[in-house]
Amino acid sequence: MAKDSSVKAPVVQCRGVKRIYQQQSIPVHALRGVDLDIREGEFVSLAGPSGSGKSTLLNSIGGLDGFDAGTVTVGGIDLGVLNSAELADLRLRKIGFVFQAYNLIPVLSARENVEFILQLQGVPAQQRRERADDALASLGLGDHAHRRPGELSGGQQQRVAIARAIVTKPVLLLADEPTANLDSKTTSELLAVLQQLNQQQGMTIVTATHDPIVMGFTSRQIAMLDGEIHQDTMSTP
Amino acid sequence: MSTLVLLFNLSLRNILRYRRRNFFLFAAIAVAVGGTTLSNSLIRGWQVSMLETAVSGLSGHIKLQAPGFADEPSLERAFSSDTQIALSQQIPMVGMTQRINLPAVITSERETRAVALVGVVPTQENISLYRDLLIEGEGLVGADDGRLLIGRALAQTLQTRAGRRVVIIVQGADGKSRERGYRVAGVFDAPMRWAENVLVFTGLGALQENLAGDQLDNPITEISVVLNDESDRGSAAAELAAAHPDLVIQDWRQMQPQIAEIVDMVDSVMVIWFFLIMSGLTFGLVNTLIASVMQRTRELGMLRALGMNKRLLLVQVVLECVGIMIVGVVAGLVLGVAMVFALGDGIDLSAFSESVEAIGISTLLRPVLTLEDLLLFGGLSVLVGFFASYFPARRALKISPLMAMNR
Repeated sequence: MAKDSSVKAPVVQCRGVKRIYQQQSIPVHALRGVDLDIREGEFVSLAGPSGSGKSTLLNSIGGLDGFDAGTVTVGGIDLGVLNSAELADLRLRKIGFVFQAYNLIPVLSARENVEFILQLQGVPAQQRRERADDALASLGLGDHAHRRPGELSGGQQQRVAIARAIVTKPVLLLADEPTANLDSKTTSELLAVLQQLNQQQGMTIVTATHDPIVMGFTSRQIAMLDGEIHQDTMSTP
Repeated sequence: MSTLVLLFNLSLRNILRYRRRNFFLFAAIAVAVGGTTLSNSLIRGWQVSMLETAVSGLSGHIKLQAPGFADEPSLERAFSSDTQIALSQQIPMVGMTQRINLPAVITSERETRAVALVGVVPTQENISLYRDLLIEGEGLVGADDGRLLIGRALAQTLQTRAGRRVVIIVQGADGKSRERGYRVAGVFDAPMRWAENVLVFTGLGALQENLAGDQLDNPITEISVVLNDESDRGSAAAELAAAHPDLVIQDWRQMQPQIAEIVDMVDSVMVIWFFLIMSGLTFGLVNTLIASVMQRTRELGMLRALGMNKRLLLVQVVLECVGIMIVGVVAGLVLGVAMVFALGDGIDLSAFSESVEAIGISTLLRPVLTLEDLLLFGGLSVLVGFFASYFPARRALKISPLMAMNR
């Protein structure tokens, strides 16, 4: 459980969340009744060895995967009662995602990748363009807007992915091993960007990671083991 | 609208993304559609040729005869040449002609054959095969010309030629056989060999005088009407039936039901042929598109993770599939039209003349391309692409957002 009971309302609230996978008829308990509150403005790392449940928890919070027991609410919305289309809409409007493998659309330029999600939201073209350019500029990619992912370095691609994730001004940014494919220098630069977003814009960020460097940048470190929260530490980065 | 533009843009770029693979796919579609266009134009040409042959072979679109004549053709079942034929302005007519058409026997010094003795007004026969006859010797100079025109094949059988005399035996208006000598004015070559074997032409006026005697005043056994538009056949027949209740009105379909059935069947043959070709193509199309979807599992999963719902994902895959099909179909239609133009002079089937006549077409098969056929088969091809997109789309819908995270 979080040790700091902030006055801010929780953006994410998990209560007794369980997730059981069947592997060749053998039940695997990926989450064993997780209770967790993540409050607005927190920068949280979910760490732990493979199989600890950190990615499963991240996926459940992001509405990418279901859960077998308990409740998960994001921005006050109970994910357990939403159908597939409603979950998609929730992800589109309230949650930003950054993936380990960047996952940009290769046939679109950096600007078009960022605009893409706004287009899905139905934002008018002029506004879309301005917001996409602002997001790219804020991440130091103003001069690379017209380039396609294949023409960008790994670090630049991940910045475009972050721009795409934040351009909708989500209530929650989820990042799954965002620095796993980056060298240490680029990792530090990228984490500085995330930290800046968290500190200057108050964006709530949850990242799953193995990397101690990442944990060093976050304000709250949650260590998971065997599907449970093993340790939950607040720190000043 | 904005979302549709986005999906269209994305689909277009995805098509361009795999240039090599899609080029071969386009080429396969283009060749299939082009080949189908050509083969269908030849089938349509066959149909048109059958129709023209059926109409021009003396029957016209509509024929008027006295009751009972079809079952027992004789001059006793004739009617007056004063019969007036008129159709409303909405049904334009190429022309009409009056004839006596009777079974007869022709005899030369060497042979005897059964024939159809046809008394014609040569100037009115520009609506029948008569106008296409290639005559060696002299043609009939008018309705009062009492000489004969016989076919090349018949002349060979009878071992006679232009300028020689033959004898015709035919039943007169009094029911008695008339036997009379005629001079052969000319020998004709016809587009159809049966016409050369069976038809013997003479002037209508001369024949009326020879056969009717005093019993009938200018008798005729048939009036043949050719219309501008085949589709007016039904309404023209109805008008004529109302105007001439004492005559039997038959259209070419009633007179030649086998040919009519084959003409009708041609449309079905074209559609069946089209679907045979396209079903083979569809397997390739589906296979390629499924491979394309599987190749982009992570990308499509990511779109779902970002919040693209299943409906939009489905639309995107369908747009891609239909987009590929549209480009291939347009290229195929252009290819097909080019091939049809290249074969514009027709295919000479004279080496198989007896066989092709047996199926009711002339020995020169010309491809016929209609806008309706182009639009129909172009549209059907795109529709095939639409349905072919079902399988890759179904595959895409099975991709979960988690796939983007886990791969």
